[in-house]
Amino acid sequence: MSVDYLLQIIGPILEGAKNTILLFLIAIVLSIPLGFGITLLANSSIKLLSWLAHTFIYITRGTPLLLQLLFFCFGLPMLPIIGDYLVFDRFVAAGLAFILNYAAYFAEIFRGGLLSIDKGQHEAAQVLGLSKWQTMTKVIVPQMIRVALPSLANESITLVKDTALLYAVAVPELLHFAQTAVNRDFTITPFVLAGIIYLLMTLVLTLLFKGLERRFKFE
Amino acid sequence: MTMIEVQQLKKSFGDLEVLKGVNFTVEPGEVVAIIGPSGSGKSTMLRSLIHLEEVNSGSILFQGQALVENGKYANANTIKKITSRMGMVFQHFNLFPHLTVQQNLELAPKAVKKESVADIRKRSEVILNKVGLLDKANVLPANLSGGQKQRVAIARALMLNPDILLFDEPTSALDPELTGEVLRVMQQLAQEKITMVVVTHEMNFARDVADRVIFMDKGEIAESGTPAQIFGNPQLDRTKAFLSRVEK
Repeated sequence: MSVDYLLQIIGPILEGAKNTILLFLIAIVLSIPLGFGITLLANSSIKLLSWLAHTFIYITRGTPLLLQLLFFCFGLPMLPIIGDYLVFDRFVAAGLAFILNYAAYFAEIFRGGLLSIDKGQHEAAQVLGLSKWQTMTKVIVPQMIRVALPSLANESITLVKDTALLYAVAVPELLHFAQTAVNRDFTITPFVLAGIIYLLMTLVLTLLFKGLERRFKFE
Repeated sequence: MTMIEVQQLKKSFGDLEVLKGVNFTVEPGEVVAIIGPSGSGKSTMLRSLIHLEEVNSGSILFQGQALVENGKYANANTIKKITSRMGMVFQHFNLFPHLTVQQNLELAPKAVKKESVADIRKRSEVILNKVGLLDKANVLPANLSGGQKQRVAIARALMLNPDILLFDEPTSALDPELTGEVLRVMQQLAQEKITMVVVTHEMNFARDVADRVIFMDKGEIAESGTPAQIFGNPQLDRTKAFLSRVEK
């Protein structure tokens, strides 16, 4: 494992890591608010909305992410009539699948967080004359985040690793470049390097969430 | 004007009738203690006054204005307007755990935006001082004792200048040695002629502080009168039985 060789492959691998990080950021930034929205729908008193949200969560959690990825990348364009309008860039289609999949998981995490909040908090907010919106933003959500943080951290780390599934739909990312180098150069060094880069990414996330948990500790 | 007038209040949870036609009034400046065995409907009755429970029939008038009249509720705006004149203190405090003591006090006044932030700050300090917790202004509720938490909850309710304060078993979740500090604050409020309705198991408070005591049993008001009447000369056997049970 020479330094020269490392220097030679680190460029392309980091290039691949760029896609990995990009997908991670897009997926996390969009799926968290979307997931929260789905939680609100699932808790809605309007039966149809609640049913739709629960069905969405059931389907998304009940099928493999890989299947969803393949469906978005290769299946959508094959749909009758509307298929022609659903031909996306491969990365965009994969991103869409990730966002929806993770939104479903985040929705369940938030739902658990909301359930954990004592009814008395709602009652206190009500008798103090807070509006529904104020109750949500100033009382419920800050407490929900504290409960949800450990699970959010867990899912985020899973998301980093799941980005490797892009490999299956031939979007070049970290693992893709490592695999190419392994095949070409007949050495496992690129795999080790890729593993280290994944570890670094999850380390950053772990530290970030530890910090957030400290900030949201109410004692 | 009569502060609260309750007529023929009825409420059921499924088959269980918890309020079977309750009638009473509260006059301004009065302290009314509601006593009675568990399951007698006292908490449900108190909670319906501030619309935490909806009744099935009967009327609740607040300063002559109907919250609910013959089982029909006013519109959402009117309900909000009426209940905003009331304050409520819960058995389990229900402080906001993510906010400091002072933030707990200031959240609602800031949200309703009737005063400047500086005025709110000034008043929260005055009120915290009154309940003896000014030095805890920047502390999170988790670091307070039960008695301190309940005093913060009272202070929080006072921030909105309510015309009446409702207490739902304010000392029932406290260790016995901590009830005194809460009762003293309530006594002080009584001396300031703040109208209060207090559901309580503290017979000493009912006897010493209340102007009137209501004994509830099985979803109705069995007996009511001055503390001297209820404690000194109860008319009904079930009142006597209850008092002898709790006053051992």
